[in-house]
Amino acid sequence: MIEVKNVEKKYGRKRVLKGLSFTAEKGEITCLIGINGVGKTTIMKAIMALTPINSGEILIDGEKIRKESFEKITFIPDTITMLPQMKICDAFAFMADFYKNWDPQRAEELLQFFKLDSTERIANLSKGNMAKVNMILGLALDVDYLLMDEPFSGIDIFSREQIADVFTSHLIEDRGVIITTHEISDIEHLIDRAVLIDNGEVVKEFGVEEVREKEGKSVVDVMREVYRG
Amino acid sequence: MRNFLKLLNFEVNRFFKLYLILIGVIIVSQFIGAIVVSKGFMDRADQNQLSMSQNVKEYFSFNYFFDSEWFLLPVFFSIAMLMIYVFFIWYRDWFGKNTFIYRLLMLPTDRITIYFAKLATIMLLILGLVALQILLIPIEIQIVNSIIPTDLQSHFSFYHFSSFEIWGWMYPNTFTEFILIYGVGLIFVAVLFTAILIERSYGLKGIFFAIVYGMLSFGVFFVPIILNEFSNGYFYSLEVLLMIIVVSIIVLGSAILIANHLLKYKIRV
Repeated sequence: MIEVKNVEKKYGRKRVLKGLSFTAEKGEITCLIGINGVGKTTIMKAIMALTPINSGEILIDGEKIRKESFEKITFIPDTITMLPQMKICDAFAFMADFYKNWDPQRAEELLQFFKLDSTERIANLSKGNMAKVNMILGLALDVDYLLMDEPFSGIDIFSREQIADVFTSHLIEDRGVIITTHEISDIEHLIDRAVLIDNGEVVKEFGVEEVREKEGKSVVDVMREVYRG
Repeated sequence: MRNFLKLLNFEVNRFFKLYLILIGVIIVSQFIGAIVVSKGFMDRADQNQLSMSQNVKEYFSFNYFFDSEWFLLPVFFSIAMLMIYVFFIWYRDWFGKNTFIYRLLMLPTDRITIYFAKLATIMLLILGLVALQILLIPIEIQIVNSIIPTDLQSHFSFYHFSSFEIWGWMYPNTFTEFILIYGVGLIFVAVLFTAILIERSYGLKGIFFAIVYGMLSFGVFFVPIILNEFSNGYFYSLEVLLMIIVVSIIVLGSAILIANHLLKYKIRV
């Protein structure tokens, strides 16, 4: 379980996160929803210790993040995290070099699934293909938790479908996933929990299935209630 | 340790193309220089002989070559490039299309390893160029010798060469001096690295902190030397050396400790 407890974060005088709390379970897809600039990316960076927080606590399976945690949790940001001059196979070799949990076979499968050529240079890839490679770099790690920042933004419809297919596959099944988006429609049917964020605070946290069954509302319905008041 | 070596290898490879270009520039410029300077000298010698106006025979000194732009410019250019790379080795991971710093900071290894690997990379690159220059000089002497007959040359030895001021720094005569000089170089780079990380952690405010930190570090570093100057030789030179070693450990140690803390808790991507 990932626990984000009372996290506060300031950029200068501006409070971006105001005592934000939520949890994400293993085996579930948790979606952080909110308009741009609401602090979704900052939360992910904070979980990965890529930006300091002013107060609060973040725990992964009850522990603060340490170097060993990076074999257990990984983050797929919205830009590629490899050098552009590398070929895809070089990037994979780099991952295999440093991570015990890198699964080369799975990387190869994903490469075929996305119909990518491993000798292609990252710099020459289209935006959609770059996003796919970036996704493989995270998915081929045998981690318990995956954080994905806007995996669908700026990507063509077919690539979106391909990426969405990954979510329903065995690649995601037992893992805990936190995903951010400002366009819920693409993944509404995929997510288990939704965390609505506004102004650096969690305004509502709910199980998607539960709300659908009990109240007959979709995520968008709930969002409409919350954001439009 | 294994991750350190892997990262070191990776960092060296990243600079390698540029490094080869640098090496190429040095070799080409210095070899051409050796030929141009020697030929120029021979032309003048021939003219002097023809005019018969000068009975005084001019001898070729190797300083003509070693003080020429052909020889010195690529050396200074290399020093400048490496100085720039001290900064670039960090900033390149933050800027541009890729954000490789995400990957580096998410490696399952102590983050300070990244710092050590980059530090070792810079030192290796410097020592590599210094070694290259040592190899090139005898070849350049051969080139000169093949153009200018030895009876037109004044005596030269490598010992003389390294007694020039800056060369004396680059090519120390004893092992102790070597350790001292390159140790100081290492501390200098380490302090710059930590200053860069301060800026990367605190943004605009960080620039101010980084400058203060840098000045403080160098201030502390020079305490024994200043103390020695003002005390008019009150201390034995061994005592001064001991003080230098102590402050070196303090400055280097604090640079590493601060960098470690920043990378763990304060760094921003």
